[in-house]
Amino acid sequence: MMVENLIWGYVYPNEAEIQWSVLIVLYPYITGLVAGAFIASSLYHVFGKKEIKPVARFALLTALSFLLVATMPLLTHLGHPERGIEIMFTPHLTSAMSGFGYIYSFYLIVVVLEIWLSFREDIVKTALNSQGWKKLLYSGLALFSYDISEKALHEDEKLAKKLAIIGIPSAAFLHGYVGFIFGGIKANPWWSTPLMPLIFLMSAIVSGIALLILLYIASMKLRKRAIDHKCLHSLAHYLWIFLILDVALELLEIVSMKYESLEDIEIINRLLSDKIAFTFYGVQLTLGILIPFILLLLVGIMKNRETLKMIMISVSSIFVVIGVFAMRWNVVIGGQEISKSLSGTLTYEPVFFSQEGVLPAIIILAIPFVILVVVTRILPPWKDMEEEVPESKPKSTIKHLY
Amino acid sequence: MQPHLKRAIFLLGVVIVGFIFIRSLVVPDSYGQYGAYRGDSVYENRNFTVEYAGSQSCGDENCHKTLYSIWADSRHKTVNCETCHGPSEKHVSNVRIMPSPANDSREFCGKCHYKMVARPSSFPQIDPESHGENLKCAYCHNPHKPWFV
Amino acid sequence: MNISRREFTKIGCRIVIGAAAGATIVESIISNSIAAEPSSTGDYDWNEHYWGYVIDTRKCIGCGRCANACKLENDVPFDEPVYRTWVERYRVLKEGEVKIDSPNGSIDGFTDDIPAEELKKAFYVPKICNHCDNPPCVQVCPVGATYATNDGVVLVDYDYCIGCRYCIQGCPYGARYFNKEKGTADKCTWCYHRITKGLLPACVQACPVGARVFGDLKDPASDVNKLLDKERINVLKPDLGTKPKVYYVGLDREVR
Repeated sequence: MMVENLIWGYVYPNEAEIQWSVLIVLYPYITGLVAGAFIASSLYHVFGKKEIKPVARFALLTALSFLLVATMPLLTHLGHPERGIEIMFTPHLTSAMSGFGYIYSFYLIVVVLEIWLSFREDIVKTALNSQGWKKLLYSGLALFSYDISEKALHEDEKLAKKLAIIGIPSAAFLHGYVGFIFGGIKANPWWSTPLMPLIFLMSAIVSGIALLILLYIASMKLRKRAIDHKCLHSLAHYLWIFLILDVALELLEIVSMKYESLEDIEIINRLLSDKIAFTFYGVQLTLGILIPFILLLLVGIMKNRETLKMIMISVSSIFVVIGVFAMRWNVVIGGQEISKSLSGTLTYEPVFFSQEGVLPAIIILAIPFVILVVVTRILPPWKDMEEEVPESKPKSTIKHLY
Repeated sequence: MQPHLKRAIFLLGVVIVGFIFIRSLVVPDSYGQYGAYRGDSVYENRNFTVEYAGSQSCGDENCHKTLYSIWADSRHKTVNCETCHGPSEKHVSNVRIMPSPANDSREFCGKCHYKMVARPSSFPQIDPESHGENLKCAYCHNPHKPWFV
Repeated sequence: MNISRREFTKIGCRIVIGAAAGATIVESIISNSIAAEPSSTGDYDWNEHYWGYVIDTRKCIGCGRCANACKLENDVPFDEPVYRTWVERYRVLKEGEVKIDSPNGSIDGFTDDIPAEELKKAFYVPKICNHCDNPPCVQVCPVGATYATNDGVVLVDYDYCIGCRYCIQGCPYGARYFNKEKGTADKCTWCYHRITKGLLPACVQACPVGARVFGDLKDPASDVNKLLDKERINVLKPDLGTKPKVYYVGLDREVR
């Protein structure tokens, strides 16, 4: 049989098939993007980093778009998707996974409220200035309450800040806990480490910021507007810092595993040198961390040459986004490619057309971008800073070029 | 508090109350009866169909009494009837349903008695190449009361 | 008014509880008078038992009848690589390498493809769900669709399992599998439908050499306790703290 060729050594008979497919790789990837985008936005909302302001609202919408699909890879993967809601109705509290429903819902409420508060002024204005179904839609979004007095907006802002403060730990929790789903499995030596939540969190922030950079550049190009280089560099700077934290934790994990050399080290070594050698050393560490690290370092050192810097930042971000996907792959798939008998390995071969295949994964990964387009149509995130921009646009471009 | 916030909180409250209400309808009654699981499931697990009736039921009620007593006195008494004859609960509950005949091939006997390195050496094993001239084992050995040459 | 309502509720509660208790008593009298068969499902008390399993690896001959009987008894598909119990073969080569295999879970038996001269030693090890006292699979189930019963058996609720397969990942022994037909996780139940009727698990009954022994740990005279009292016992992966209730006699260091 085909299966035989994919197996080396001895795997338990029940392990012949890999249970968690590419969809489960996608799930931590998407929640990671959510957490990262949210934390990027709170750099402005909570820590008052003014330079991030141009993307702060956009980051929230990005977080929401990805958050809305975060459950989809999971539900598609379930043997009984219709029973999925049981995780909300009867969460079995000893399970790391049982918190998912509540953490997710709580976080969704926080993000929606945060978006609502920061867009309320625009919503109310649109509601008052439009007709027909549009008026109805925006009035509905405003909950038929149109108070945008200075005082009301000030109150909103204060509440939004409080929410963002709650949002940071819950974003960290949402994703750190995804790491714990893997880190808490003592049966699997590749997963079982207390560092896992932190590694997941750091790589989440890294991927979220990188995605935000890419989406920001892309949407500015599409809308033919000037890129705020100060904002871009600031994002790149944070990306660089979180890359360092991320790589430190990832290397710490590997180094301590190898240094301690427990019973499972032989199979871990085989995993690293054979099964996931390319995706781990090549994509995750070199492409995903080392190259962006150097590029971003150069961006920080270089003076002027904004276009080149922008290209370097974009390339780094693309590499980071790919690298973090590889990291999720190496954890989820890599962990299943070693047998719990510690005496053999198996190989995951992705199928394209199937319920758990590559095609649904691609579709699910495409949906948030569609949602983002729709949401930015309904709630344009650039409005507040561009009311004065149109005339000054050429000027600012020139200023940045020289 | 601003009216729009009141409305938002009200909306959230409605969602939460609705959730609690639906939950109370949907969660099975026996969930939590014995622990964090559906108590009825224990009974469902108990009520699966039995396939293997056990050797006792073969010897009972004057069915295969003679054969049973021969077997019960043999060196094969550790091998239950159904290990060779297959599951027969259906036959026990309805004698018209005949179980498929026992596999009397050399290979089937060999599952236990062919020489294997990993087998305990004290266990009776034969070399299929040199033993028995490729005849069926039952030609010389009565499976219900095997004798040893 | 408040007080009267409370009183009313109290009385109501009493009536309901009283009626329920009455019904239970009547039911118990009826069932007592009928109770002729000790193995009927109704009078099995799970608090009186605590099941355990002993495997004597020195006796196993690797015939695979256990794995075969298990699939027949529990309707486990024969054409898929899923097993509630299986037998592993360990062959330690003279040069030191260890070859482990379990072709089709041992159902079709084994073939000697390494000559005896090259082997230092060889033996079989039957494997089965350990029904751990501290089961990691139960711990990780997000909805409570798998649980340990009061008599120490770990079961799956097939009508409640969402099929997330976290329990399969959580089991260190590879004892769980995904049942594609049911869309749920599945595993050995120690034939819960048999043992609660006074029968033995199908694998124990099918074993021709008595390598598999099943019994009640609460009964000092049971077959398992006789072995546990006499033999030197080990369990699989004791360092993981799962506290298995499948006890092994003659376990080699190579077995994981």
